[in-house]
Amino acid sequence: MVQARLRARARRTVFLAVVAAVYGFLLLPLVIVILASFNAGELLTFPPKGFSLRWYVHFFNSQPFMDSLFFSLRLAAMTMVLATLFGTSAALYVVRFAGRWRDGLRLLIVAPLLLPEILTAIALLFFFYNIGLGKTVIALVAGHVLITLPFVFLAVSSVLYNFDTSLEEAARSLGADRFTTFRRITLPIIKPGVISGAMLAFIVSFDLFAVSLLLKGIGTVTLPIQLFDYVTWDFDPTAAAVSTVSIAITLFIVLLAERMVGLRSLRF
Amino acid sequence: MDHPSLTSEKRPHWLAFGRELVWPRANLTLLLVLPTLLFLACFLVAPYVNMLVMSFRNPSTSNVFAPGYTVGNYTKALTDPYYLTVLGQTMLFGIVTTIVCLVLGYPVAYHLARTSSRWKGFLYVGILSPLLVGVVVRCYGWIILLANNGLINDALKKLGLIAGGLKLMYNPFGVGVGLVHVFLPFMILPLVSAIQSIDPTLEEAAQSLGATRTRIMRRIVIPLSLPGVQAGSILVFVLTISAYVIPILLGAFKIKIMPTLVIQLLIDAFLWPFGAALAFILAASGAAVVFLFLRLTGRLMKGVV
Repeated sequence: MVQARLRARARRTVFLAVVAAVYGFLLLPLVIVILASFNAGELLTFPPKGFSLRWYVHFFNSQPFMDSLFFSLRLAAMTMVLATLFGTSAALYVVRFAGRWRDGLRLLIVAPLLLPEILTAIALLFFFYNIGLGKTVIALVAGHVLITLPFVFLAVSSVLYNFDTSLEEAARSLGADRFTTFRRITLPIIKPGVISGAMLAFIVSFDLFAVSLLLKGIGTVTLPIQLFDYVTWDFDPTAAAVSTVSIAITLFIVLLAERMVGLRSLRF
Repeated sequence: MDHPSLTSEKRPHWLAFGRELVWPRANLTLLLVLPTLLFLACFLVAPYVNMLVMSFRNPSTSNVFAPGYTVGNYTKALTDPYYLTVLGQTMLFGIVTTIVCLVLGYPVAYHLARTSSRWKGFLYVGILSPLLVGVVVRCYGWIILLANNGLINDALKKLGLIAGGLKLMYNPFGVGVGLVHVFLPFMILPLVSAIQSIDPTLEEAAQSLGATRTRIMRRIVIPLSLPGVQAGSILVFVLTISAYVIPILLGAFKIKIMPTLVIQLLIDAFLWPFGAALAFILAASGAAVVFLFLRLTGRLMKGVV
């Protein structure tokens, strides 16, 4: 009996150790990147060489990196606005009014998420070249909105499905017109879904790779592409500083959304 | 999800700006979805149709394609041993990555689904946070660790464990580490929701009837979590066979797999019709593996229930 209990405890310990090791594996590279960005040496050595901000100075003085950082932020903001408008209105229609078309429409709108991004990127490259818009900002924005639209759509529709429609009926029966009902009842209730969807759209667009790679033109190079080009040839910690700044931007967006709505509303 | 108490004419019309305005219902609500539909028709359906047409175009040396149509792109790709090898290697990477993710992800998912720890929220963040960081950044983290003069080799040398350097990158091992790291959360998340939906009293009942832990896992938990295994495996497999950044940064063009090959053909060699055909062959092969996998696991699931 004692032996069995001991064996059970040993097994539990091994199990927890494996779980902890996998968490460590998941978080290790992120921690390493952040550490490397503050390290004084050319390489992150063991033990580290000391604290320095020189790689951040190098990053902020690098014209290509700064250009691509601001371009990425502008592109992500534009993408977020468009994807949120499209995704929210489409979710309202699909959940409320689509009737027998609901499943088909949902599949069509979520399709960019199900199709491999690289395939979509290739298709967009051919298409924009054929219609004479290759390597323009329009192509890039369209590609980013296409990939991020499903995130907004899913976030908003998951809130809509749990929506108590009797609230709207109550408002209407108390004399509110449709627009007032929408503005005062529907919009506040779906707000968490809209905001978390918008947040996801921004983050996904900010980190998007394949579409940005194939549709990039002169002056429309996003930060991940610039970083990729740099890291392909050069391992110095400037890339770590760039990475840490981009992690910080993502974190800021997540915290902002958390402050606005609380991310418990976020469902996958 | 039609609300039972709402008849169709009493349903609210969202864009009618006053009750007096009586608009035909279908027209008005359709305005909500019309922009999205137009957008998807232009930038999703049309590009894919265009790519399909492109894959049947005649190749050209002076332009991206020549007039006329052919199936030559497909026959060339499917008869050349080079492309078949690369395709096979891609599928192999996909299958191995999926299996490793399943083996590493299952314990974590089980723990997260069953834990009542107050750190549960943090554990979720631990799994979600890598998803919020771009793939280039995560690969760069692995480069710092795995490079010949990287952190792992440096630490091992200083500790006197090895004399020379271990080759951890620019080989299948490095690419595999990157793939597993980047796609593991996609395996864990569906597994967690599948395991959470299994009633814990089933396990308690089996335990009180004298079943061992191994037997409970094998006969109850794993069979009932198969839908999650299916979902996670398909996600990881599809993502792996279309991965581009990881094989380049951690394999440095030495690891030939389809996505890197196709992009190279498109960007460097401008072989658009052939590249399109290869992309479709990759997608079709991936779909075939997923289909086979669904058939196999479907049979397993039927045996259970």
